[in-house]
Amino acid sequence: MRILLIVFICFTVFSLDSLPARASEENMFQSLQQNVLDLQRTIQSLQQTVQSQDAVLRQQAIQIEGLQKKWEGVSPRPQAGTSALPAEVPKRTGGFNPDIGMAGTVQAKLTQSKEDGEGNDTIAMKELELNIGQAVDPYSRADATLAFNDDLEPQNVYIEEAYYTRWGLPLGFTGQVGKFRANIGKQNLLHGHELATGNYPLVIRNFFGEEGLAASGARLRNDIPNPWALPLEVTGEVLRGNNGPSFSGVSRRPIFNTHLKTFFESSDNTNLELGWTTMFGDENPPLRIENDDGTITTEARPEGTDRFGVKVFGADATFNWFLPEGKKIKLQNEIYFQNRTKLVHANSDPWGFYSQLDYRFSPKFSAGIRFDYLNPLDVAGGHGSTEVSPYLIFWQSEYADLKLQYSYTNHAGENEKIDNAVYITVDFLLGAHSHAIQ
Amino acid sequence: MKIKLLVIFACCLWVPHLQAADKIEVVASNSTLASIAGAITGDRADIYCVAAPNRDLHFIEPTPKDVMKLKDSDVFIHAGLDLEAWRGPLLNAVGRLNLMWPAGERQIDASRGIFLLEVPETLSRAEGDIHAYGNPHYWTDPENAKIMARNIAERLGELYPEDKEQFLRNAETFNQKIDAKLAIWQKQMAPFQGAPVVVYHNSWPYFIRRFGLRLVGELEPKPGIPPTAKHLDGLVKMMKEKSVKIIITEPYREKRTPERVAKETGARVVTFTQSVGAFPQARDYFSMLDYDIGLLEEALGLPEGETR
Repeated sequence: MRILLIVFICFTVFSLDSLPARASEENMFQSLQQNVLDLQRTIQSLQQTVQSQDAVLRQQAIQIEGLQKKWEGVSPRPQAGTSALPAEVPKRTGGFNPDIGMAGTVQAKLTQSKEDGEGNDTIAMKELELNIGQAVDPYSRADATLAFNDDLEPQNVYIEEAYYTRWGLPLGFTGQVGKFRANIGKQNLLHGHELATGNYPLVIRNFFGEEGLAASGARLRNDIPNPWALPLEVTGEVLRGNNGPSFSGVSRRPIFNTHLKTFFESSDNTNLELGWTTMFGDENPPLRIENDDGTITTEARPEGTDRFGVKVFGADATFNWFLPEGKKIKLQNEIYFQNRTKLVHANSDPWGFYSQLDYRFSPKFSAGIRFDYLNPLDVAGGHGSTEVSPYLIFWQSEYADLKLQYSYTNHAGENEKIDNAVYITVDFLLGAHSHAIQ
Repeated sequence: MKIKLLVIFACCLWVPHLQAADKIEVVASNSTLASIAGAITGDRADIYCVAAPNRDLHFIEPTPKDVMKLKDSDVFIHAGLDLEAWRGPLLNAVGRLNLMWPAGERQIDASRGIFLLEVPETLSRAEGDIHAYGNPHYWTDPENAKIMARNIAERLGELYPEDKEQFLRNAETFNQKIDAKLAIWQKQMAPFQGAPVVVYHNSWPYFIRRFGLRLVGELEPKPGIPPTAKHLDGLVKMMKEKSVKIIITEPYREKRTPERVAKETGARVVTFTQSVGAFPQARDYFSMLDYDIGLLEEALGLPEGETR
């Protein structure tokens, strides 16, 4: 019993002795825990401070770098008011040299036709354009495109375009003189490498020439003000008459051309441009005969003479549809009618049109198809020519592309025949290059 | 009598132009400039924008309407430099000497005084579609937007002295708001300092630098050159090695390539915009950056593999 009592007392004493110690340990643990939490908060606060200081330092670094560069004059960026135009940047050594660029078109053509037509069954440097342009003075600029080709003919060079533009004429007119692509419809304004296809539409080739109509002359352009705030642009041209199969081929018999253009935006992503072309020219002027004694006499042609015997009327419509992801659909149509005497060409009412659908479906590819119909200048009666040309374009970059085109042509006329042709075209651009807004 | 009628008709045609004369007719080359110009001019100006916000600024095709608007405008505000390569042909078509860059007194170059990044030492198309003056996407840095606002306000103030004080006050208000928002945006981006990102096209160096991200690659092998399979293979490998979680693209770019790369790397595609109005949420400069930063914040905070 005594033993039990001693054990009980000892247990009680030890138990009472351990209680304060346990309490002390718990307090210490809580204190430590609090300290850890405080430390965590302090670290978080420090982290935030460091992050915000980082941002400040980064901002200061950018500012310092900017100031240093400016101080050292490293940045070649010119200040407005003293700089050159964008395309002639940044080499100040270039000084006042004009923008110079080059556009090359190499074309291989395989055809069923046995004729020595342009580029048939061969590969040729179809065209190499040298483009030069620059402001002449504060009021005007000059642009020139010199074309070199190594096609069917022996190598030759010619002026495709070379014109002087004067802005700010009275009533807001812009004037141009020189040689330029005539403002007819849409595709005649384009240079070869700008076409989606390997050739111009059939009606343009037949009426205005294989490469379209470009001629020396003068042009005036302005917008017609109207209460509907509708873009209404009118262009008037007087062109030398020595160009284009439809006209006289004589320089002193000019071609008069007017083009009227308007534009509608049907939504944020669709628009429609409409145009109307009217041309007058001579078909068959008197013959100029140089006599042995050096005098010149004129004689009426036996078949007769008709001043302004050629009238060409045309309409163009271009619909653009901008799709998401940079895709685009373009539907372009042009139609031309002629009303002419039959002194040179057999057909007094030739006409033709084309309709072209183009789809840019990725950064690298676009595809399309063009349908042509032509009642040609030299074929009266019977059915017209038709041509169907599907094509695919690979856009290697903004400056180089590869075009593949197949054309099925059903020619009109006595020698009615079907022709199948394949065109492979490579275009490349070098240096400064820009196109006038069409 | 016929001549009289013709004269009366011609006068009638000009009436709308006379009626609109009390407001400044401003044409801006892109929608972000239009937005900043709007903040500065308030009700004093009508603003027309050439480039639609959902299209690539490199490849805008100006329309006859753009030509007409610019012909009738009082002031032309543009981004300067050589991003808007279509600006030269547009101005040539317009033929207004006082709008021509750089000498025209009624044109405002918003890029004046901005420190440009990535100025090339040599110019060669072997480097792709590089820009002669430096990277021209400068307005993605809010600090640069402040300079743009000042440029616009000061020049407009010179052209319209009676409104100068108001324009400068509005620019100051705009810049104060930028300062306030920049602090918020930087706080939002603080957790993602140094985060590696890949972009489709190199149009975000100013944004990346301002907000402390790290550009490690582009889907285009060179600026403006469409992605190639070989380049993408290398890029995917690099992205995996560097644990890249973000691919930044724009609304006018094809989606297939970034999505393919994202699928192979586990990264997320975020479609940013640097054009006000490209998305309904990007109503002005501030909401545009709110949108971009919000996207990035959410994407970097989302579980792996999930896209927004």
